[in-house]
Amino acid sequence: MGACIEAAATSTRRGMLIHRGAVHLADDAAETCLSRAHHDADDLDLLINTGIYKDRNTAEPALASIIQEDVGANVGGPAQIGHHGTFSFDLLNGGAGFVTAAHVADGFVASGTARLAMIVASDADPSPRTSRNYPFKPAGGAVMIAPGKLGFQRFVIRTFPEDAALFESRLVWDAHAGFRGHNVVEIREAPAFADHAVEHAASTAREVLADAAIRADQVDVLVTSQYPHGFGLRVARALGIPDDRLPYVPAPLRGVHTAGPIGALESALTTRRFAHARHVLFVTAGAGITIGVAWYRGWE
Amino acid sequence: MTCWMLAEASGETPFEARFESIGAFLPEHRVTTRELMATTKHHTRIDLERLTGIREHREANPTESSLSLAIAAARDCLSRSRYTGADLDVVIDASITRYVEGTTYQFEPPLSMAIKRAIGAAQATSFDISNACAGMLTGVFLLNDMIRRGTIRRGMVVSGERITGLGTNAARSIRSILSPQLASLTLGDGAAAVIVDRASAPGIRLAGFTTLAEHSRLCLGLPGFHHSGANMYTRARKIHEVAMAEGPPLLEEILERGGIHLGDIDWLIPHQTSVRAIRSGEKILAEKMCEHPRHVVVTVDEYGNTASTTLFLALHHHLAEHQFKRGDKILLLSVASGLEIGVVLLEMDELEATHGSVH
Repeated sequence: MGACIEAAATSTRRGMLIHRGAVHLADDAAETCLSRAHHDADDLDLLINTGIYKDRNTAEPALASIIQEDVGANVGGPAQIGHHGTFSFDLLNGGAGFVTAAHVADGFVASGTARLAMIVASDADPSPRTSRNYPFKPAGGAVMIAPGKLGFQRFVIRTFPEDAALFESRLVWDAHAGFRGHNVVEIREAPAFADHAVEHAASTAREVLADAAIRADQVDVLVTSQYPHGFGLRVARALGIPDDRLPYVPAPLRGVHTAGPIGALESALTTRRFAHARHVLFVTAGAGITIGVAWYRGWE
Repeated sequence: MTCWMLAEASGETPFEARFESIGAFLPEHRVTTRELMATTKHHTRIDLERLTGIREHREANPTESSLSLAIAAARDCLSRSRYTGADLDVVIDASITRYVEGTTYQFEPPLSMAIKRAIGAAQATSFDISNACAGMLTGVFLLNDMIRRGTIRRGMVVSGERITGLGTNAARSIRSILSPQLASLTLGDGAAAVIVDRASAPGIRLAGFTTLAEHSRLCLGLPGFHHSGANMYTRARKIHEVAMAEGPPLLEEILERGGIHLGDIDWLIPHQTSVRAIRSGEKILAEKMCEHPRHVVVTVDEYGNTASTTLFLALHHHLAEHQFKRGDKILLLSVASGLEIGVVLLEMDELEATHGSVH
């Protein structure tokens, strides 16, 4: 038994005047994803959130439990023996969070521990007035994973700690910010981050393709992170995968963080390219530098 | 159908999993509850020691961070293990507090990256988990699944909590027992680590989690608005009520699935919030389930509530005191913001013989 992708959805802010934080973006994407997959929220066994930048930088509870409540997955009454339940938690691995969570969900679904898993990712600048160098556009994404014949075949998640200092994101206390000081989101990205992310992503993906005995031109769809800018195209060219294997990603989803690969996946699903693909390659990158690569098989 | 997402030692997966080593690190500096209450800005008249049973807790020194505490626990864990860092396939960090220096909280890269570098586990897959005080047990739940399926051979879950700053912040505003920040005064700093590895016989007999998400907003931890560090706002009484109302039927269900009765459990290790809450829970469990475990472990009186590490510090403490016997059945029970309920049932194996003294 494998774990297959049933549906994907994204949500973005509509209009500058409407402030929609990470929770709302996640809720919207999760509800659309449930609807597209024709599942009731109560059917969910597992809900993993991979978003990093949350409303008010909330450290607890896991955002996943809040999303679970908001979409109404097994809520509203005392737990009763024999009734269904949902387990929610956050998994944090930066831009590689989606592939890492897919690895975890794939395991639980393939072993039968879970039947239906949803991965949610959303990020929004928690404090736009004070954040420094926050580079990501706000967006939410959700992907439904269910048992299937083929689906995910191989995952590789690799880190390149020699490049850890190329992207650092912290919440620091600045006593001089505002009237009385503020905790400030501060992101430091070195100019070399994008180049190194592409280089490490390409080397990791090459290894996955070689292990699977798949030529670059046999990759039908290449789903990638949407940050750093131009990452997908540069990885495709480094691997020798034709440019047209990258799904079109609408402008509001270019430059988003953890939901980036979900934006590309949604595009491939809605245009039916995913359904017709034999080999799908997911290539994601984030701080660390962490690279997450997954090979997904659509048909024999 | 079940309320739980459940992994049972059924023989249907190729392998079984066990706890191979437990590590811990506790800062040396002890602060009594009386000393802490003497720092409150307002005269509160709260006898917190009587209310919670917590006598003291540990506080990290200014040079220690969540990260450095976690690394110390990971090293302690490896020092008791047959493995080196290079043998680990996965490293998961589960800290709620993610301070890397002072009150600087790190979003990216994940803390697990720095931890695996420090312990020589460069090749291990690494990521962080955020699941409030259930974080470490969530990590064990994940590793258990990966090991049982044969995806990995062994992994480490580690957490460092430098969390007493929340108490320092709370002490400025607490006026009465009704303060939503009162629970912040029960916190203690500490770190723990566990290595889970492949086994021929099941050490982990049962593992399950469920989230009672209609209560997701009962406890919120977030950075201060006009001061450094963070604050925690807890509706402690409501959480206790929910846990006491929903816990017994949930526990009954999962134990039934594991083919075991509460009376068969030798040691129940619950999340350590206060002595009073644990004793009250013990009484209600006994009333509702008409049986009780042989022992209920309490370490909160000595360490305070060390957040995601409490279960593993308690396990470490009792291992060091050689209180467990081979074959003992130990039930780890997480109750955390979310509201997360997690259970891992262990059967004690050679871990009890190979463990050294407490730090």
